[in-house]
Amino acid sequence: MINPTVVDLSRLQFALTALYHFLFVPLTLGMTFILASMETVYVITGKQIYKDMTQFWGKLFGINFAIGVATGLTMEFEFGTNWSMYSHFVGDVFGTPLAIEGLMAFFMESTFVGLMFFGWDRLSRGAHLAVTFLVALGSNLSALWILIANGFMQDPVGASFDPKTMRMQFRSFGALVFSPDAQAKFVHTTLAGFVTGAMFVMGVSAYYLLRKQHREFAARSFRMAALFGIISSLAVVTLGDALGRLDFLVQPTKLAAMEGIWHTSKPPYAPWKIFAIPDDKTQKDLFNVSIPYVLTPLVAHDFTSPIPGVDALEHSARAKVIKGIKAVVALKAYGTTRNPAALAAFRANESDMGYGFLAQRYAPDQDLSKITVQNLPSIVQKAARDTIPNVFVEFWSFRLMVLLGFVFVVVFAFCAYYSLRNELEKHPLLLKAATWAIPLPVLACEFGWITAENGRQPWTVFGWLPTFQSASSHDVGYMVFSLVGFAFLYSLFIAAELYLMFKFARLGPVQHLTQTPHAPAFVQPALGQPGFTDKSWADNSWQ
Amino acid sequence: MTNIIRILALAAVLALALMLAVVAGDFGPWYFAWLVGTTMIVLISVAGAVLFETQHAAGDTPYEHSAPTET
Amino acid sequence: MELYVALKVTWALLLGILLTGLAIMVGMDMGVGTLLRFVGRSDGERRTALAIIGPHWDGNQVWFILGGGAIFAAFPTLYATSFSTFYIVMILLLFSMIMRPVAFEYRSKVDASRWREAWDWAFLISGALPMIIYGAAFGNVLQGVGFHFGWDGQYYQNESFIWYLANPFALMCGILSLSLAVYQGGAMLMIRGEGVIAERARRYAICGGAVAALLFVAGGIWVQFIKGFMFAQPVDPGMAATPLNGPLVLMRTGAWMNNFHIHPLLWLLPALGLAGMIMGSFSLIARKPVLGWWLGAVAWIGTIFTAGGAMFPFLMPSSTTPSESLTVWNASGSEYNLGWMLVFAVAFVPAILSYTTWAFRVMRGKVRTETVIADEHSY
Repeated sequence: MINPTVVDLSRLQFALTALYHFLFVPLTLGMTFILASMETVYVITGKQIYKDMTQFWGKLFGINFAIGVATGLTMEFEFGTNWSMYSHFVGDVFGTPLAIEGLMAFFMESTFVGLMFFGWDRLSRGAHLAVTFLVALGSNLSALWILIANGFMQDPVGASFDPKTMRMQFRSFGALVFSPDAQAKFVHTTLAGFVTGAMFVMGVSAYYLLRKQHREFAARSFRMAALFGIISSLAVVTLGDALGRLDFLVQPTKLAAMEGIWHTSKPPYAPWKIFAIPDDKTQKDLFNVSIPYVLTPLVAHDFTSPIPGVDALEHSARAKVIKGIKAVVALKAYGTTRNPAALAAFRANESDMGYGFLAQRYAPDQDLSKITVQNLPSIVQKAARDTIPNVFVEFWSFRLMVLLGFVFVVVFAFCAYYSLRNELEKHPLLLKAATWAIPLPVLACEFGWITAENGRQPWTVFGWLPTFQSASSHDVGYMVFSLVGFAFLYSLFIAAELYLMFKFARLGPVQHLTQTPHAPAFVQPALGQPGFTDKSWADNSWQ
Repeated sequence: MTNIIRILALAAVLALALMLAVVAGDFGPWYFAWLVGTTMIVLISVAGAVLFETQHAAGDTPYEHSAPTET
Repeated sequence: MELYVALKVTWALLLGILLTGLAIMVGMDMGVGTLLRFVGRSDGERRTALAIIGPHWDGNQVWFILGGGAIFAAFPTLYATSFSTFYIVMILLLFSMIMRPVAFEYRSKVDASRWREAWDWAFLISGALPMIIYGAAFGNVLQGVGFHFGWDGQYYQNESFIWYLANPFALMCGILSLSLAVYQGGAMLMIRGEGVIAERARRYAICGGAVAALLFVAGGIWVQFIKGFMFAQPVDPGMAATPLNGPLVLMRTGAWMNNFHIHPLLWLLPALGLAGMIMGSFSLIARKPVLGWWLGAVAWIGTIFTAGGAMFPFLMPSSTTPSESLTVWNASGSEYNLGWMLVFAVAFVPAILSYTTWAFRVMRGKVRTETVIADEHSY
């Protein structure tokens, strides 16, 4: 018997730890490339101020990076600790990108980040620049592999279910890596990170410009960040559109919830809702303002494709649930008896297996074989209703994300324009807006995560494995223990993080320059004869 | 001799880049867009800074004209 | 089928190498973290100790992350089952591990003794606890774990977590693991530290090596008396990767010695481990820390492969439903998956080893307390 409370607590814990981790990730993705850009200018022009910029923003980056690394540890292990059925079911294909992420990305990022911070006096300019670029590449490659893994959850390609091992087996590496969902999501997410990084650098620089502090330093940082941000923010919107179309093609339930489409309409009538208060219970809007004939071309990119609404999706899910129940009953028989007839029965309804799992929670004693003609309709009804994610949450998280996305385009456009004209200080309101906008991209990223993952519900692997089925069979007490601990530790971390961020951002770069005479932390070996001055080194064989 | 090696090495890098571009272009259009786009974003940001230095040298910026090279 | 068996064995070996790499590199940093309060009496000394591993701890930690990822991919059912059955200790491990990156980055950013003192305690906890848990996991697995599977492959736990926490044999393995970490960390502090730091580290490291050697021998004797696991009949190593409907498994006292009886060459492994610990301690006594560091690595290799060699092909035996024990044969990924992963491992592991070596080369040399104190950037 699966305990619904444990599943809910596991979901809560995963959502909280993932959302928390994702507070820090976007800034890392963007800041690394901004740091690399700044250092590129330093190497090209040889002007010291660009080195100072790289180091100062690098320090703020480091404060953020530490928590990103720490909370990332949780994510790597949480699949195993809390989602055992999920890990067993898809580990053969889902684990692979995670392992490759470690091999290809984490090692690169983490090894070179140490050299980036501490190697200034030990590496040539060119070598240090290469190190900084490798950190940027490494952190973005880790985004690539985790999003390839996530792409599989959204649109499971490259694997098929094997009744012998009771799990999804990896079939095509190419299909997994080049999955359209993974591709678009990778670009969308990293660009969102670029926007976050650009907004951070620009906002803090705007704060200095407003206070007429560190003006030369701030004006240059502002210029670079604004240009970085304007292109990134335009591109992030483009990719958002691409993702919307993908959802239309492979996750119609997500799209219906995002746009709050309760009923299928004759194309191209489908209205685009500017504002609505969707009510999931009655499947109606309590209130809405909408423009007809907009959504079809917006989502489908044509005027003839119908956009399925919640009613049609639920209707088609019912048939799948009925077939799915047959599939799961046959699968269970095959699993315990290895009877070829049962296997044949399973094969007949294989593609709807996931919908059978979905019905399991409503069956008597969670046992599908106990379903009778009498209780079948109500079970099918409930399971089909479950295939629709929470529309209110989906609708609003999506809308807020999109709204913020357009706000960023506007803010960056003005900022880039006035920065290029060197007239920033004539527009204090703009500078103020830029400062206050610092946390907004992070917020948009969180809404984006909610849109993507709430819209995936009720599945962990879309169409194949329900979330309800995926969790570990823990006691409630276990979950309370870990939740309390995470809440405590993560609260301490964020308090320390914000304290240090504000402290060092307020302190600013000049203080930082006068306090540090760039003293090398380590004793340099004599130039040209590596290590020979140092006896302990001479007899070792690291190399 | 060193020139030949250098040319060969550059040719190898070029061939690798072309292969990557062709594979990415064929199977992963968005990956290709990311490679090109990120490079472009970095370069435009760098170009903005270089432009700033030009404007600064020409006296087009509101900042006092002292080369900020303290160390 | 033949290729599949070869891939399974290869990945079992790679798993051993990965766990060893994790133990050596992460263990070293954990050892430094554990010793921090003891080798560094003043703030400057503690910062020096941190600066010694400062540029490398993050890269080293990836061995830990990769360990999780590689088990997930190569042995998915093992990943799912072990992390969930050991939930309480895994969460404790995570809690202590996640303190460490934050402690490194934040400790020296505020010049207040209470702030720094608090983070120093975090270093102690996040150094000692994970190593104890790491060793204890081996100890628990050697004794078998109480779990079974449902028809759909979901695990069910049959034992209380109290047993994992307070299990004398597992605790002994935990202390063995911590001792080796202290040894390895101490050796590193001697390589790159000077004066009092190196001297204090030397004393702790020698003790660590000696305690590890004693516990390793004690563990070897103890294992003779615990129940090991063995297949009742020869099995097909190419079997489908599912723990359900598995072949009969027996629990016999001393069964973990079977592999050593069949392949006497395996005795080289414990000999290697013990030699590493003893000779390592002597080389530290003789003030040859670099040699000592490498002997410490040898000790880890010997220790982990001794445990692996004894258990092979078992990965996590079930003490309550032995026939559903997880083995190299029934818990692995598919042939296709293992093949692709091997391609990536072959391509990237040499690259990782070379740039890690380069990073250590770039940052080589002694770390002096005066320069660390003068540098505000330093940890």
